[in-house]
Amino acid sequence: MITVADLTKRFGRTTAVDHLSFQVRPGTVTGFLGPNGSGKSTTMRCMLGLDRPDTGGASFGDRSYRQLSSPLHEVGALLDAGYVHPGRSGRNHLRWLAASNGLSKSRVDEVLGLVGLDTVGGRRVKTYSLGMRQRLGLAGVLLGDPHTVVLDEPANGLDPEGIRWIRDVLLHLASQGRTVLVSSHLLSEMAQMANDLVVIGQGRLIEQCTVEQFVARHADQWVRVKSPVADVIARAVAAQGAFATMVDATTVELRGVSAVEVGELAARDGLVLHELSPQTGSLEDAFLEATAAAQQFASQPMDGLS
Amino acid sequence: MINTIRSEWIKLRTVRMNLVLFVIAVAFPVIVCVLVASLGDIKDLRVADVAGLVAGSSVITALLLGVVGAVSISAEFAYGTIRPTFAATPRRMRVLASKAIVIAVFAVVAETLVVVICYALSSAIATSRGASFSLNDDSQARAALIGIVVFAIIVSLLGFGLGMVIRNTPAAVAILILWPLVAENIIFLILTAAGVSRPRRFLPYTSGFGLASTDPANHEGLSRIAGGVYFAVVTAVVAAAGAFITSRHDA
Repeated sequence: MITVADLTKRFGRTTAVDHLSFQVRPGTVTGFLGPNGSGKSTTMRCMLGLDRPDTGGASFGDRSYRQLSSPLHEVGALLDAGYVHPGRSGRNHLRWLAASNGLSKSRVDEVLGLVGLDTVGGRRVKTYSLGMRQRLGLAGVLLGDPHTVVLDEPANGLDPEGIRWIRDVLLHLASQGRTVLVSSHLLSEMAQMANDLVVIGQGRLIEQCTVEQFVARHADQWVRVKSPVADVIARAVAAQGAFATMVDATTVELRGVSAVEVGELAARDGLVLHELSPQTGSLEDAFLEATAAAQQFASQPMDGLS
Repeated sequence: MINTIRSEWIKLRTVRMNLVLFVIAVAFPVIVCVLVASLGDIKDLRVADVAGLVAGSSVITALLLGVVGAVSISAEFAYGTIRPTFAATPRRMRVLASKAIVIAVFAVVAETLVVVICYALSSAIATSRGASFSLNDDSQARAALIGIVVFAIIVSLLGFGLGMVIRNTPAAVAILILWPLVAENIIFLILTAAGVSRPRRFLPYTSGFGLASTDPANHEGLSRIAGGVYFAVVTAVVAAAGAFITSRHDA
């Protein structure tokens, strides 16, 4: 259980986080959602004792982060996969991290295997792709087998396979009863990963609810497929847990699955597609609307461009 | 604390630049000593001359160890690894103390290695060319050889302190190197022009180098011990300021 209470952080005259309070319960993935610059990363840094809050704070169970004697055993955190020395190998990066909390070398090899980096662990991090760095970061999170996991934008820069992998890992961790807090500025990405949502804008809490409630309250998005074998596609995605609604004999609307995944599925099964289009309904719009007042860097209509 | 020291030791030895600096720091004075002992004039060579050669040529070792000290913390800020470091060990003073211990031990090992190899090689070469001397002859020469190791420890920690205060690798390294080479010369000229007597004793780095002097009576500055203490105190003030800033600031 993570409790953030009355957290405020100012940088000079800018208030990055403004009396923010929310709770993250164990056994589920909680998405920490907000537009860029809304204070997610600052909140997480304050939670981990890296930045000093002006008011309030965060507690893990009944203690603040700085009171944890071996934090890696209790809270695994990944703030930025770029926080690595490029000249050090992935394995050595994990080794200093492990040693600081009394974890063994064999545990390092174990987590490298868990994230699929065992064959490249000896390579210097500067040769890693962004996706490999995210996996290395996640390996660091898993090192101490913590009961609480805090990740800042872990899906950034990942391909769809990588995003799915992250989601599966997080859902697995949550299913073991752990507390999982993961931030993103993309609602569509969050909707795939999280059960609960904490939505903030300009450092203030906008909404804390479940994804279902948020979706029900706002709207939805779907993928429209036109195909002579629309019914086959509908059954195939339904078998993967997505929802399919036949519009007519050759048109189906799919929810809970991305256009990329449908496209890959169609290619794999050799199914003909006449149209594959993500329909951004009013959900993303609603999210933007909900946070519009709180957008720090709002885009202007690009009338000047033609 | 043991865990943090182990962690910092892994960090130090898993960056290739530190290994390269270590090799240069050891090889450079060894080559200089071998060349001078082989080609120099050995007539009337005294043990103090050999000790002076070893101490003088291994100043570069001390400076490179200072660079290792500075980069050990400034690179953490540059690459952001200071955040996972402080997240893994929220007690920041423990991290900084561990870093200081690792840097100091690294400096002792490297500089001792340099002094032993340089003295052994240059005295062996000079003896084979007909020179005759012994460390037993001169207590100041013995003190200078130990002093250069102490000097290297202080310089490495001064680098660490500057790295904490400045948080920027090029700036910290530049100040570490330019301070003795440029800044103290300028201060010396200013103090001399102002008519201050024995101005050398106010220069921390110059005073510290008195630790490695084979002829401290002629040094015009503070005595060996007093100069070393003065340099160590200046270093301690810089390091304390750096530790205060690092522990109070947002990481």
